[in-house]
Amino acid sequence: MKCEVCLELLEEYLDGELPREDRAEVGEHLIACAECSASFADLTAEQELFARYDRDVEVPPFLWTRIAAHTVAESDAARNGWYKRFVAVFATPLASAIAVLLLAIAVGVVVYVISRKPASKPAVATRQTGPALPRNGADPIKVEDPKPAPKQDSNVVASHRKSKPRVRPAIAGDQSDVLSSNQSDLDLDDLDTARHIEQTENLLRSIRNVPVSDSDEDIDVTYDKALSRRLLNENVVLRRDAEMKAKFPTKTLLTDLEPFLIDIANLPDHARPEDVRVIKERVKKTEIVAALIDYQDRGTNNR
Amino acid sequence: MKPLTVAFAGTLMNSPADLVTRVCQGDSDAFRLIFERYSRPVISFIYDMVNDRALAEELTQETFVRAYRSIHTMRAETKLSTWLFGIARNVARESLRARVRANNHVDLADKSVMDLSDNKPVPVEGLLSKELNALIRRSLAELDEDKRLVFTLKVLHQCSYEEIATITGFSLAKLKTDLHRARAEMRKRIRPYAGVGYEV
Repeated sequence: MKCEVCLELLEEYLDGELPREDRAEVGEHLIACAECSASFADLTAEQELFARYDRDVEVPPFLWTRIAAHTVAESDAARNGWYKRFVAVFATPLASAIAVLLLAIAVGVVVYVISRKPASKPAVATRQTGPALPRNGADPIKVEDPKPAPKQDSNVVASHRKSKPRVRPAIAGDQSDVLSSNQSDLDLDDLDTARHIEQTENLLRSIRNVPVSDSDEDIDVTYDKALSRRLLNENVVLRRDAEMKAKFPTKTLLTDLEPFLIDIANLPDHARPEDVRVIKERVKKTEIVAALIDYQDRGTNNR
Repeated sequence: MKPLTVAFAGTLMNSPADLVTRVCQGDSDAFRLIFERYSRPVISFIYDMVNDRALAEELTQETFVRAYRSIHTMRAETKLSTWLFGIARNVARESLRARVRANNHVDLADKSVMDLSDNKPVPVEGLLSKELNALIRRSLAELDEDKRLVFTLKVLHQCSYEEIATITGFSLAKLKTDLHRARAEMRKRIRPYAGVGYEV
């Protein structure tokens, strides 16, 4: 491949958008040509610079309230309207009498059944009387925790790890008057890294656990791929930060993560089983998930 | 395209497709999950486009309200993030056009930050991140709308070309050209800071 052809394809190469053959050719050329390789390094550095772009914008806490007022609250109100009309039907004397009669029959039947089977199992109807059972009763996650986890991008597996007390404001807010906390030693980078590691762990777990059959049916990795692209970008920034702050264990771990993130990010949306299997086997073989867990268990203060 | 297998990686009950189904069935928790998952990228994208924080908040609200009202029309093969970005793009574009129509165009190209640079490369580490952010923000604002759109989606939000084409409706050729030119313009503006010294 000539240098001018390679330079023309560099951006698409960096974007992971080149067809497989071109990608291989550019890769080979970059190994052999110092000049093009330097251009690629410049392009990567430029990408890293943009990855550091930190917008002065956050999702304000009130935004959901406003949106909900125009969306889900309106729908709930509409449903309540139906409910009220339904209740209104029973406001007539005749309907009320029928309802009372039906209720009495139902109670009678229940009392009769209970008296006939004194040793039977206690009724499990208590759950039905609880407030606001989830609409989708089959959803175990919803039953255990009906409220959505705040700001958790990766709601995949290992949700048990999410309960770890890594959020500084909660600790400081609850116990700052009791403990001589050393939370001030933590900087925001540590929290970002911890969150990043946790999300990456979840991603790799999900890849490790994806069922790959011998059939040649594609596997939908759209979500994982998009997540991996975002995490890859984040990883580059955090790795450089760790290097600059001489946090070498963190830097090493993030360096080890990068090939996995690149491979997942470069999968097609509907990946071939063998491509997924290769990554999955490497995740298992290298025990990278265990390394991530170990890193998190050592705690932020040790870093 | 072959029919997809039932194997889905890492998505469980809260996959985007599942969330959409649940919203269509009236599950408001599912819509809140969608908001929590996508509000940050959406507000960032809109902010990149309009360069105004308060307006970005307002337009993000509008995006999610429109999304909720039309989610039942979303096609099964469409990615939720792509679909939301498409709505956000339309909302941002309408706002930008309204601003132009109202002849209330704000000169976003504040030269003051550009004037800080000379022609000598300055290492990134030596640059105050605040200054760098301001430079990128203003450089973005100086791009024309199409270039800003593709640059933002590709470089700042890591969308694929296919996703960008879906969001913008641009042909692959147009988006590649716009992206290349946008990168070149951005490079020219940040070069003194980044020490990038090549031409592509």
